[in-house]
Amino acid sequence: MSAVLLILALTVGVYAVAVLEDWASHNRLRLLGPVISTLALLGQESVLHRKNDRLFFETAPILLLVGALLSLAIIPLAPGLIVTDLATGALFFNAALAYVLVALIMAGWGPDGAYGMIGGWRFLGQLIAYAMLVVMPITTVAMRAESLSTITIVESQAQLWNIVYQPLGFVLFAIAGMAMAFVPPFDLPNAEGELAGGVEAEYTGVRRMVFRLGRMVLILSVASATTVFYLGGWLGPWLPDWAWSAIKILAVTALMLAGGRMLPRVREGTLLAWAWKLGIPLALVNIFLVGVLVLVVPL
Amino acid sequence: MSGLQQYGILFGLTLGTLGFVLSLYALARAIGRSRAEAGKDVPATAGQLSRDPVWVRYNARYTGYALLFLAFDMEMAFMYPWSVVYREEGLVALLDMGVFLAILFLGLLYGWSQGVFRRQ
Repeated sequence: MSAVLLILALTVGVYAVAVLEDWASHNRLRLLGPVISTLALLGQESVLHRKNDRLFFETAPILLLVGALLSLAIIPLAPGLIVTDLATGALFFNAALAYVLVALIMAGWGPDGAYGMIGGWRFLGQLIAYAMLVVMPITTVAMRAESLSTITIVESQAQLWNIVYQPLGFVLFAIAGMAMAFVPPFDLPNAEGELAGGVEAEYTGVRRMVFRLGRMVLILSVASATTVFYLGGWLGPWLPDWAWSAIKILAVTALMLAGGRMLPRVREGTLLAWAWKLGIPLALVNIFLVGVLVLVVPL
Repeated sequence: MSGLQQYGILFGLTLGTLGFVLSLYALARAIGRSRAEAGKDVPATAGQLSRDPVWVRYNARYTGYALLFLAFDMEMAFMYPWSVVYREEGLVALLDMGVFLAILFLGLLYGWSQGVFRRQ
């Protein structure tokens, strides 16, 4: 029963993310847009070049989808509505999303195209910028919850959501999460304007569809993690648990996509400099502040 | 649920995703196949033929960051178990990790002063 519900939630969530992304990029709300794109991509031929690295080319879209789906497996939508409540959930989230980098570099390397390759290597630089800013705020969340299990993390926020308890961590995590899902101001690997699609450039037809699907699941996963770690997950008055999860996740997705659209694309060097000269010291300050706060005000 | 069962579910999820993707590929294959044409043999690179081979050495200009990243990433391996028992251990845990993080932060400042954060 709950498996059916989870698959349904995943389908609706991914569809909503696709509609929202379309809205954020083209400023039009087309509810049937994803269906039309799916049919179009199914009908389009999936070209395979003569001199490609077949293994990498084929693995990349699947790996992106699998990594993103595995990271969603530890996200609770309501008490009991979770794929697996791993004791190391928050750590597993990082571990699964480490494959995003691998997938993108494979996608860049595979087709032997210049734009893809540049996109892939760029994302490696982007990883060095965002990775620490994803993991460090998660530790402070775990410090408060005394557990890495995502259900315990949500329950620890019953009195006060983490966005109020550790706002600095929330800001760092949200921005780094956007960089991890490469949504607009950080869309270095697939920059439309300068790399003609970057890592996605050589993918056509059904392979492109799987790649895009993986990307949608990734965005959904980052938004869900932000909700679970900082916005109190399913907690909220009046409405049922799953409704609160859905509202929060979709609101975070919409904010990420719409907000990022307003900003100019960040250069890789600039991103690295900001992340290491400002972001990492702030993350360390956050760990210290929360450390003191957890001992002094045990909420 | 035991840990092994949980990882079994995750493995099943992986296999299920693989099956889903393969069935999508099969569906696309059933609709039609790609026609062999000369123009499709090379990467499109936005409508132009790719001139140079791209499997070459790439000048990663963030090597300094990458070295510091290694140090910090190793440190995270210690942070996760520490964060779980943090409240139990109390002030001792804060001081222990404070010293550790302070040394790392000094390393970051030292690297900064040596120009690690310049693009090489």
